[in-house]
Amino acid sequence: MAHNMKMVILLNGPWVEKYRPKTLDEVVGQDHTISRLKRYVKEGNMPNLMFTGPAGVGKTTTAIALAKEMLGEYWRQNFLELNASDARGIDTVRNDIKSFCRLKAVGSPFRIIFLDEVDNMTKDAQHALRREMEMYTKTSSFILSCNYSSKIIDPIQSRCAIFRFTPVKGHQIIHRLEYIAEAENLNINISAIESIVYFAEGDMRRAVNILQASASMDEEITEESIHDVVSKAKPKDVKKIVNKALDGDFLSARELLREVMVVQGTSGEDMVTQIYQEVSRMALEDSIRENIYIKLIESIGETDYRIREGSNPRIQLEALLTKFLINTKAD
Amino acid sequence: MLWTEKYGPKSFDEVLGNIKIKDAIVEWTEEWLNGNTQKCMLLIGPAGTGKTTLAHLAAKEFSEYIELNASDKRSYDIINNTIGEASASKSLYGDGLKLIIMDEVDGIHGTEDRGGTRAITKIIKEGHHPLIMMANDPYSKRLKSLKPKCNTLILRKVHTNSIVSLLKKICVKEGVEFEEHVIRNLAKRSNGDLRSAINDLEVIARGKDKITSEDLEFLSKKDDIANIFDSVRIVLKSKNPRRIKDAMKLDVEPSFILELIAENIPKEYEKVHELQKAYEMISLADIYLGRAFNTRVYTYWKYTYELMSLGVALSKDETYRKFSRFTNSSIFSMLSKSRSKRDLKDRVAEKMGEQLHSSKKVVKEQFPYMEIMFQNDETAYDLATYYGLSDDEVKLFRSRKIKIKKTKPQKPVPSPKMSDKSLSGFKTKTTKKSASKLQDKKSLEEKKPDSKSDKKVKGDRKKKRSVNKKLFNKLEDKTSDKNEKSDGDKEEDKSQTSLFNF
Repeated sequence: MAHNMKMVILLNGPWVEKYRPKTLDEVVGQDHTISRLKRYVKEGNMPNLMFTGPAGVGKTTTAIALAKEMLGEYWRQNFLELNASDARGIDTVRNDIKSFCRLKAVGSPFRIIFLDEVDNMTKDAQHALRREMEMYTKTSSFILSCNYSSKIIDPIQSRCAIFRFTPVKGHQIIHRLEYIAEAENLNINISAIESIVYFAEGDMRRAVNILQASASMDEEITEESIHDVVSKAKPKDVKKIVNKALDGDFLSARELLREVMVVQGTSGEDMVTQIYQEVSRMALEDSIRENIYIKLIESIGETDYRIREGSNPRIQLEALLTKFLINTKAD
Repeated sequence: MLWTEKYGPKSFDEVLGNIKIKDAIVEWTEEWLNGNTQKCMLLIGPAGTGKTTLAHLAAKEFSEYIELNASDKRSYDIINNTIGEASASKSLYGDGLKLIIMDEVDGIHGTEDRGGTRAITKIIKEGHHPLIMMANDPYSKRLKSLKPKCNTLILRKVHTNSIVSLLKKICVKEGVEFEEHVIRNLAKRSNGDLRSAINDLEVIARGKDKITSEDLEFLSKKDDIANIFDSVRIVLKSKNPRRIKDAMKLDVEPSFILELIAENIPKEYEKVHELQKAYEMISLADIYLGRAFNTRVYTYWKYTYELMSLGVALSKDETYRKFSRFTNSSIFSMLSKSRSKRDLKDRVAEKMGEQLHSSKKVVKEQFPYMEIMFQNDETAYDLATYYGLSDDEVKLFRSRKIKIKKTKPQKPVPSPKMSDKSLSGFKTKTTKKSASKLQDKKSLEEKKPDSKSDKKVKGDRKKKRSVNKKLFNKLEDKTSDKNEKSDGDKEEDKSQTSLFNF
């Protein structure tokens, strides 16, 4: 009862937090992984773990839930959560981990360090991390998470049990969204939920964000409101950029691209996805010929790959824009 | 005494190069002295071509002169006070003509010099005094408004032969033996900058009786640091591998050179396939930058240099014979203009990241959705409170301020039932007027209500309104009815304050 009262005065904050699963059982769509992790909890011991998988499929959620169940009542004191993207570099990793691991676990069998987005760490930092992992095996376990395990150096991979998280399946997302809708008393129909699932592409975080955004806009959430939210959330001007480049106006297209990326802060990955979607839409509407379309797709795909290899995504996208020029001349 | 001073021209006759301009200035000076008001002078040219020298020679003809430099802080006021005064008031003595020399007017910029150009324009308009201004970059935007109002003269680089002959003269006077090719080399490397040629000569020859090619080596380090725009020009204009390789000997980050070359490719290359090929090279060069960064193997940089220089240079079919204006990348101005906004985004992302167990990057990806959520007053209020965002930080997501309905100050953490009872009490017993009176009184009592408790109260009230039946099934039906009813009241009259909204 007391607990309930406290709940009442809580704010209605971000739903991605409010409805973040609190236990391993609540985690959606990673059944294989969860059942193996629960075995660790039962045994009261775990090796170093690595969670890999795309965004929004439950890596962080699972790590926190696992820590809670593994460490018990005093999990907060014995759990360190670090984000490698924000604190990348050797020093941060060393200092934070060292000072945390030096102390023995109190109230829990051992301590857990959760290091998120390890693939954003430099190779040097990863090597340093490897040494730390070895040094504190007796007192601490590591959970590392990353999008691409290929970006993690082999010595780290070989020291971890690797768990691959898959995109959350459509029906599972539907189930979860329906649960939230009921708890929030939303007026939403199934076709709207299905359309969220379509746009979420297996990313639960995006699905929940779309739902909350739609709920904040309309009393009644329909398929249209979902489309509205998704198109509002898209980086703007991509269509313009593509069209300007296709018209042969490279300088304007490039300037607009820079504006969107530098000023609005759209990421390279987002940009390339949007350009891809715009081009495929144009192909569907027959506004570009198939042979041109496939050439563009080839270039876009290559750019997508290079963005991850290169140092400056914007430079790669500027290079991509030049590929749009000749295709109009061929017309 | 520095040799540049010692051997600088003492009269107009001794000035090297730019004869027409020299004559124009001589004439301009004479006209002024004869009492004919003249347009002001704007001398534009690269460093070491004699702008300052000419201005100083002119200054000798006038009774007084004032000189301002780019190193002075040029706020509107400073220019106005020092020059405006000199320009408006006539000197008590002599002809009363005060020459004003403004060096590096294209260097006036930024917020520090706010209104600088405006001040100059004003002085040009009002001034009864001769004004000579100097600038390096003929294309500077700062000069755009000045140019039409001035007599603009463009100075060319001093010819190598003229420099050679002057350097020789100096050597003879200083009693330094020299080899012809050493002098010629000095002159060439100065690239038409007479001042730097004399400076270089002084560095290697002062106090010696002989200079040789070995002395030149001493200078070569400085030579490596060429001007980055010259390098960009060479890459885009030339196809000569040696020259291009030399041009890459810059003391600048490769990513910066890459940016500038990429920026200017479309300004030089006209054919689409050239542009594509060149940008392909840029793309590859960037990949090696990425590989170098990711693996910390910085020897990869050599491929970056080759690809972005020679690779880009060889992407053109023929060298173009045209004048191209190469510019700085628009990226840098965009970056500086959007800096505060980006900082704000970072700050907000960090705050949110702590709550969301996410990196700044992941949080920023969710910004577009937050922007939508923040359009709704209630959601905006809840989220802002949840994340602890300030008003300024909220502006990132919505332009309007969040409409906060005033609430009755309450004890921080009331039990829901209690507050509901008291609420229904107010609802029935108070009129609009007495309610607001009551509120005034209350707010006097709690002059400084703790903002936290205030927010909690707000959350409390809001929560009650949101029909979360699970949590409310223990409340009496009556109360919840009243809640709903009061909700309806709120819809009808939004301007009403606090208590009535319940």
